[in-house]
Amino acid sequence: MANHALAAVESALRDRKLDRTLTTALAPLERVDPSALVPMDVAPLDACLRGGLPRGHLSELVGARSSGRMTLLLQMMAAATSRGEIVAFVDTLDRLDVASAAAAGVDLSRLLWVRGQDISGRAGPFGPASPTERAIDRALKALNLVLQAGGFGVVAIDLADVPPVAIRQIPFNTWMRVQRVIEGSDTACVLLASEPLARSAGGLTVTLAGRATWVGTSDRSRRLSGIDVRARVVSPRKRIDGDAKVGIVVTEVTDRDLPIARAR
Amino acid sequence: MCDAVTRVMFGAIYAAEGSSSEVLLASAQEFSPRVDRVSDPREIVLDLSGLTRLFGDARTIAEELRRTAADRGVQIRVAIAGTRTAARLMVRHRAGITIIEPGTEAAALAPLPLALLGELAGDVNSQLPKSVGNWELGVVFKSWGLRTLGELAALPSDDLAARLGQDGVRWQRLARGEDATPLVPSVPEERFEQALDLEWPIEELEPLAFVLGRLLEPLEAHLERRGRGAAVLHVRLFLVKSAGETRDVHERSLQLPTPIRDARTLRTLALLDLESHPPTGPIDRVVVAVDPTPARIVQFSLITRPLPSPEQLSTLMARLQALMGETRCGSPALVDAWTPGAFEMTTFTPVDTNAIHSHETRSSVDMTVALRRFRHPVPARVRLTDGKPSRVTIDRRGMDGGGVRVCAGPWRTSGQWWRKSESDGWDRDEWDVTLTDGATYRLFRARDTEQWFVDGVLD
Repeated sequence: MANHALAAVESALRDRKLDRTLTTALAPLERVDPSALVPMDVAPLDACLRGGLPRGHLSELVGARSSGRMTLLLQMMAAATSRGEIVAFVDTLDRLDVASAAAAGVDLSRLLWVRGQDISGRAGPFGPASPTERAIDRALKALNLVLQAGGFGVVAIDLADVPPVAIRQIPFNTWMRVQRVIEGSDTACVLLASEPLARSAGGLTVTLAGRATWVGTSDRSRRLSGIDVRARVVSPRKRIDGDAKVGIVVTEVTDRDLPIARAR
Repeated sequence: MCDAVTRVMFGAIYAAEGSSSEVLLASAQEFSPRVDRVSDPREIVLDLSGLTRLFGDARTIAEELRRTAADRGVQIRVAIAGTRTAARLMVRHRAGITIIEPGTEAAALAPLPLALLGELAGDVNSQLPKSVGNWELGVVFKSWGLRTLGELAALPSDDLAARLGQDGVRWQRLARGEDATPLVPSVPEERFEQALDLEWPIEELEPLAFVLGRLLEPLEAHLERRGRGAAVLHVRLFLVKSAGETRDVHERSLQLPTPIRDARTLRTLALLDLESHPPTGPIDRVVVAVDPTPARIVQFSLITRPLPSPEQLSTLMARLQALMGETRCGSPALVDAWTPGAFEMTTFTPVDTNAIHSHETRSSVDMTVALRRFRHPVPARVRLTDGKPSRVTIDRRGMDGGGVRVCAGPWRTSGQWWRKSESDGWDRDEWDVTLTDGATYRLFRARDTEQWFVDGVLD
């Protein structure tokens, strides 16, 4: 009797194309097809991810400020553009530093940058039709347009600096709709956020924690040398879970030398 | 009989001085679609092959040509020969009607003066190559004592080539009445335009979409027949005239990144543009025109991952620009400047490369810390201890600040201070600080105002 009920549920889910949530319908554990993955181009992380983030799914790079999420995203985009793919970045609050993207190796001519409005300098409560809500709404619409156009290897949306209260206003079915749009396509959609949002059944969540590293003992010689990133991969039903440690160094794109003498 | 029908026959008509070239062309086009307008507006060359079945023999055709032109008020000379060159040389020499039997061109041209060849020189549409486009060799021929075309034609070709090169031989062939190149008909400029007068004025874009679709579909078929695509799409909307006012025309022109002829794509692009730039009143006439350009040829690859088609990209960019703003979508580009965060936006037009899709990880890649830049630096309050930041307070939601754990700096930069506008110049001391919450910020102090700002987050 129980089996009949289970079969009925599974059948109903398949009818609604929701069978990816079934344990039996999940793809095999060994992900051997490299064309179905987008490597991050970071060896320890790719080893942990068993090849990279899956195409046709919504994955997440989440972490607090200075956890290395933007660096890893740019690294992933650089690898994609070096393979001849085109990438898109929906920049909700207009945070992309073009020099950093170029320094990461992103082929800028193959990057579609959709710039939202920088509202960080404006004070004001969050509420209906607030600048933040409008920015999120536009960014989600832009994401939908880019995904529907197709042909992009990586499409990322940046919600990292959006206040949590605004994030909570986004309906959860937003991410289901995104998942439905890219299902079966060659696009890997990446969500950059401060905490897990999408909880996709097929995508991966990479949780990042970073610690800045400094060199130099004296005030005059001290400088930021990089960020040690600890990544934790969380996947549906713990199939690809694991940890990785990644080091990111600082490479100045300006002509910084030693600091000037401080006035006391 | 069969020979007479299929015989190659060219005619040249030469009008009296002051005649209208358009009337002359119209007269010629009544007889043959293969018409070549040479540089002299009084002269036209036309292909008369196969017309004997319609009109009769060559003389009858010539008489009909003269009668047609006379009806339009133009007096013309007509020469018909087996080659264009013979017909052109003869029509310039002899008035009335001249018929040269095929195969006898050289003999018929022999008594004509050599100076006639000079009249063909410089004609861009003639069969003369550019190297002999001028009549410099005419002086040489004259010094040799040559006076007629027949005398030049009779010279041994090998000796002529030895002395004057291939240019001399080409002039000799023309003197014999031979054509060097086939006739290339002049194609009249074709207009790709559709117009529709509306019985009832329309005020909204939704009904306009149907009108545009109706106009663009035949335009697409027209472009496809001619192997063309649209380089520029012009939409002219004629607005209803109010009493006592002149009629306004709302005109929009869309530069397309690549030749496009798909009616649905063009309609979408036009509508998205009109959404951003709506007409100011009801519309009672719609005109759609395109500037044609050779159509795009696409070679697909089995190896590389295909890019979105230009139609898809154009539509995507138009939709994104309508949503986000015209200048907020595209590809970023670095600019050669020291200004912090300087960049410019360019059109997103990725080119298909031959890079083969590789799944290998780049082994020796050093990751560099990225900066998340606040496009408008966020004001902050910084407490200094011994000249170093010790506490940062940021009055913005989600940015609490905190005590400074480690810091480095300052790095002083300045530039553009000679500009008149204050927003162009900068003069600041930069600091990298890690706060107690673990976040690493880039701060700067504006030296002129002593104010502190958060420039970005190292992430």
